[in-house]
Amino acid sequence: MRAQRSIFITGATGLLGREVLRRLLGADPRLRVYALVRDPRALVADSQIVPLTGDLRADALGLAPSDRAAVQRDVSAIIHLAADTTFSAPLERARAVNTFGTERVLELASDCALPIHVAYVSTAFVAGRRTGLIAEDAIETTSWVNAYEQSKHEAEALVREHASNWVILRPSTVVCDDSNGRITQVNAVHRALRLYHEGLAAMMPGVVESSVDVVTTSYVADAIARLALREDAAGRTVHLCAGAGALGLDELLDVTYERWARDSEWRRRRIARPVVCDLETYALFERSVEDVGDASLRRLTRALSHFVPQLALPILFETTNAEVLLGCAAPPVRDFWLFMIDHLIATHSMARVPRPASRDPQRAA
Amino acid sequence: MSEAIGIRGVAYALPAVRRVLSELATLGQLRSEPELLEQFGFAEVCVAEEETPYALALTAAAALLDEQRVEPESVDTLIYCGTPSVAFSPAGTAGGAADNIATTRRFRYPSTRLQFDLGLACASTVALDQLACTSLFAAVRMARAIILAGDSRRVLCVSSEFFPEDAGREALYNCTADAACAVLVDAGVDRNRIVASAQTTKGYYWDADAMPNEIVASYFPTAAYVIAQALRRAGWAPNDVSLVVPHNVSVRSWEILLGLTGIARARLWCRNVARIGHTLAGDNFINLRDAIDDGSVRSGDRLLLFAYGYGAHWTALALEA
Repeated sequence: MRAQRSIFITGATGLLGREVLRRLLGADPRLRVYALVRDPRALVADSQIVPLTGDLRADALGLAPSDRAAVQRDVSAIIHLAADTTFSAPLERARAVNTFGTERVLELASDCALPIHVAYVSTAFVAGRRTGLIAEDAIETTSWVNAYEQSKHEAEALVREHASNWVILRPSTVVCDDSNGRITQVNAVHRALRLYHEGLAAMMPGVVESSVDVVTTSYVADAIARLALREDAAGRTVHLCAGAGALGLDELLDVTYERWARDSEWRRRRIARPVVCDLETYALFERSVEDVGDASLRRLTRALSHFVPQLALPILFETTNAEVLLGCAAPPVRDFWLFMIDHLIATHSMARVPRPASRDPQRAA
Repeated sequence: MSEAIGIRGVAYALPAVRRVLSELATLGQLRSEPELLEQFGFAEVCVAEEETPYALALTAAAALLDEQRVEPESVDTLIYCGTPSVAFSPAGTAGGAADNIATTRRFRYPSTRLQFDLGLACASTVALDQLACTSLFAAVRMARAIILAGDSRRVLCVSSEFFPEDAGREALYNCTADAACAVLVDAGVDRNRIVASAQTTKGYYWDADAMPNEIVASYFPTAAYVIAQALRRAGWAPNDVSLVVPHNVSVRSWEILLGLTGIARARLWCRNVARIGHTLAGDNFINLRDAIDDGSVRSGDRLLLFAYGYGAHWTALALEA
């Protein structure tokens, strides 16, 4: 009988973390999971899970000495999922969780008795303002659209430098649960789409080659659960992205418009499709809204400003490592986008779209 | 090939009083800070105090006929744009003039009085309303259609409108002025040949006060669409446009709009935003006149005129000078 394996996980209460945890436990009934959480009540009760109260922002992760000792004694792998994904956060705040939190996780790894395999869940957007084909092993970047991207890039560098055995998993933007389009958690992409639906989106930065790379929770959680503990993934950086299956920005706006225009009530309002424009023009528009827009429009535009400039950067995420290791590609965006659109309109009214923070499923532990 | 139809001439009349932004702010006529409106290109506006819309219309139209040495009897059609119930009311009394609607005074039409006062003995009259700042565009478009239909050879379009007196001097972050403008559209005239036009009306936005954010958001993509449509009908690429003759709204908004259309920002003629401000009567045609007078327009230049009007209307005109 195989010996019981113990791992340490952060971000297990987030949307993605819950799904990863569920898959890990399902795959190995003997697995013991030490889960770093700020509030143990947020964690599903399970005999395989050992909740450990702590915080990425605290010294030594805020773990009780006995808890830390147990982790150091038992654990052979760490899956670090937790992050502050607030795109509008200033760099200092983003670093507090994403960079320095990762540093604390790596300190814990170095204090463990067993050799530790670290799986770090990053983001494909550490590529920042780079354009063109973004190779999975590429790490050189010097400017970013927001502090979130920069702080995650810095965290990756720490992982490569300090972990002896690591894999870096880089999802793009998660927009729905699975190919049926169900949305459990609304994020910045959904808020932008709602603005479009409500006739409040005048323009979007972009170029002819712009594409939108989004993925499902199901694909990303499957991939993390399958790759995080695999020895043959060690030393690899893996894009969990649509890659060649991303949808062109123009096409995405068109198919979205056509979908909504099926509703005669919406169609008769004759809401204009947002114009794709250069960054300079978009910046002028943002400045005007800042100068004259009412408070709600200003708030919405500010929230978008921390991620929509990414649309003006034509990129294609390479997904070779992912496809080789997983044996399949991510579902093409075309396969689930319209289902997601339908779900968004049917179940997430504007009033339920939280403003103004731009948060994704992963949250700080 | 059909006969050319062109704008033979333009004349306009402004009220005597000019007020700078700081004065308007002191008078409580602005919602925004004057510094912000200054950033948007505004400086002063002409404000009617003694004049009536009709008086300005008559001044502009008479000047046009005189400048163009046109016999009044040669005008076949007069198209008048402006709110009839306030046409004869001096600024500051328009509120009382609303009573006219409930009496037979409502039949005292400025269009027919203008026909008589100008001696347009052969002209039939038509009036346009509910088009706000795009009224004169619609008049010019209609003039072209009437000529093409063979009903007229010469159409005089006159627009005179004051900004509502209790509404201050600001509309959607633009500083507004009072004015009248007259445009003479002739068959067989190559000058300012009307090459193409486009208009989109979106009734969903009929109540501007109720949805300012929606209007700001819809303004840009719809404007870009209408301009593209006019260019397509003219057979022009964005780079073919020699000069953009704007309505006098925020210069910033023009910079954004030109960024969306692919037309170089340097081609915007915007001197009158500061000198006159935004009028309901027909900024673009006032600007056309001034751009011609200051030598900015050369024969053969391709001119693009675009305006937005409450209601909501987006309209564009392609002219060859």
